[in-house]
Amino acid sequence: MAFMVSPPPHIKEGVSIKKLMWSRFIVLLPLCLASIYLFGFPALGNLVAGVLGAVFIELAIQKAFKQKVTIGDGNAAYMGLLIALMVPPSVPFWLPFIGAVFGIGVVKHAFGGLGSYMFHPALATWVFLKLSWASLMVPTSVPQLGSLSDLILETGAGFIADASPIAMIGVLYLIARRYIEWRIPLMYLLTTMVLVVLLGDPLSYVFTGSFLLGVFFIATETSTSPITKNGRLVYGIACGLLTVIYGYFTGNYIEGTFYGLLLANAIAPMIERSTVPKPFGGVEA
Amino acid sequence: MSDVSRLDKLPEKVIIPMRQHDGIACAPLVKKGEEVLVGQKLGECEGSDLAYVHSPFCGTVESIGLMPNPTGKRILSVVLTPSECTQSVEFVPEKNASPSRLIQIIKEAGIVEYYEKPTYLALKPGKRIDTLLMNATFPLITRAYLNSLDKVLKGFSLMLDASGISRGVIVVRADDKESIKAFKGAVVDGKPLTIAPIIGKRHADYYLEDLDDRIIVVAAGKITYTPTMMNLLSADVMGRKISLGREPSDVHVVVCGVKSAKAVYDAIYEGKPYLENAVTVTGAVNKPGTVFVRFGTPIKDVIDACGGYKGEPGKVIVNGSRVGVAIYTDEAPVVKNTTGIVVQTKAEVLQDDTTACIHCARCVDVCPMNLLPTRIASYSDIGNYEECGQLYAMNCIECGACAVVCPSKRHLVQLIKYSKLQIHNIYAAEAMGEATK
Repeated sequence: MAFMVSPPPHIKEGVSIKKLMWSRFIVLLPLCLASIYLFGFPALGNLVAGVLGAVFIELAIQKAFKQKVTIGDGNAAYMGLLIALMVPPSVPFWLPFIGAVFGIGVVKHAFGGLGSYMFHPALATWVFLKLSWASLMVPTSVPQLGSLSDLILETGAGFIADASPIAMIGVLYLIARRYIEWRIPLMYLLTTMVLVVLLGDPLSYVFTGSFLLGVFFIATETSTSPITKNGRLVYGIACGLLTVIYGYFTGNYIEGTFYGLLLANAIAPMIERSTVPKPFGGVEA
Repeated sequence: MSDVSRLDKLPEKVIIPMRQHDGIACAPLVKKGEEVLVGQKLGECEGSDLAYVHSPFCGTVESIGLMPNPTGKRILSVVLTPSECTQSVEFVPEKNASPSRLIQIIKEAGIVEYYEKPTYLALKPGKRIDTLLMNATFPLITRAYLNSLDKVLKGFSLMLDASGISRGVIVVRADDKESIKAFKGAVVDGKPLTIAPIIGKRHADYYLEDLDDRIIVVAAGKITYTPTMMNLLSADVMGRKISLGREPSDVHVVVCGVKSAKAVYDAIYEGKPYLENAVTVTGAVNKPGTVFVRFGTPIKDVIDACGGYKGEPGKVIVNGSRVGVAIYTDEAPVVKNTTGIVVQTKAEVLQDDTTACIHCARCVDVCPMNLLPTRIASYSDIGNYEECGQLYAMNCIECGACAVVCPSKRHLVQLIKYSKLQIHNIYAAEAMGEATK
């Protein structure tokens, strides 16, 4: 009888990149539904445009360079959705489409594709759109938490992601399943809350959908955060610190979140390098 | 234990390798056509790291040659055609032997530890030893021996006598309720055993100081300590740090297995050499369970005893699906260090494509040695072995935990292993250069 021979391990956990990416995509869907309910057809159009743009450019690049087509792993669709969630609902449909093309084409693939980008594609895209179409990228009003009901459905306009902070509750399931890192969001939230209270800003400025999107989805992006355990704690603190510095001096914690995270991305490799853990048993005696 | 059976059916032929541990191979003592008895010594060897080989069967020598082995290599083996006769060489029990005689008997019986070291050598490492650890953290194997627990405990005491070690600690998994219950009911030297948990800084020493018992049982975590995790076991249970390149005996600890304790009992109280073992059969077989198998029995017969293959078998793995070897033929025999057989169906065999690392750090979270597996593997992949060394690649124990959780299905263990080999070669080359200067 012929048996298959291969090196160990012979069993593996059923987790794959596909599962990680699509589970994040699915967890963001309630937020999309809430935004469509709140902002109507324009929000739906923007979200679809973002996803389509991302998938289109990934397919085009991989076909053009004769690479293996990886649109099925969900990373492009997830990035496109994130990009679309980070624009105001009032923008024309071509804006998130262009953004997604830039994010996937330049920030992801020009830097080497999945796992190789040094800045989060959605963050870099947001800055690109903000600089290029500054007037379009200003939301009609900056949302803030007035009463508890705002957690469920935001009253201010803001970005699409600001529609309903509570709709992101599914992320807790992903954290429990270890699909999303817990150290970074925990330290990020704690640092931000402590600093904001110390500086005397109202917490209601901070707890917006965009901030929570940054905490749970952008800060935890695996390629742009350190891999060491202590490094992830430090990275969370750094994210919080940078967010509050920008937010405190401009009074805009939403932009503070995104700019702060972009800077935190830049220092992530340094944090990782300086927190390499000592192994069990130490070095050879 | 209802699911523990004994394989009594005689196999068609028996393959007895002349080397069943990681040491010196024996030279066959028998010739083709010769009749052998149960317990007859088949292989004799000289040197320091030896384990004699005895025949667990009565029969005729069919041939002597290279035969398949569960390590995947072909090894010089004696092939027997077993017969129905049960005649054995005379087994002489020696109940009141002196410690040096005990060691001699253990050596003669060819007993080997689960980490492939002969027991007589393991017990006498030539250093000051104060504690003997019994690794009972393989739940299925431990449960197989619960029926003869008093014999195992007696054997463990004999090992303490033989080596002159004053204290014994039996380590079980904290979630292995069945074994813990059995140990609770057991009696040693007329006293019931004490079961203690390892919590925080309360290591085995803490309990041993309070009690005047010679042997205690500790429940340590939910880890099965495989052979490469001996240092981790000693550190977790005794709270003593072991640096890289050292072994438990450097911190006055010796590790033994459940099987060898039972074998020591058999050797001394019944005069029998090491002839059989418990083997767990799991996966795609009709009646998974634990079977006592005589060494040399082909794996095919063990699987038949467990109801045969369920569906079409794709892979047969010896010694665990994490670190075990996938064998190419089920003709290979069960040997002294075989603990388990896992069968996978064609559909269960993994055939994943490796994709790029997404730096999710799942491997970092599970690494028992606190390494960064993904980084070491990446540097190994591009041939930067110096960087691997700086990331402590040499500390890797090749447990495979990182590759199990990897969502990109990268071959982390193989890449790290390769970097270890290269680092080793670099050191060796440097040493050669120094010598020729």
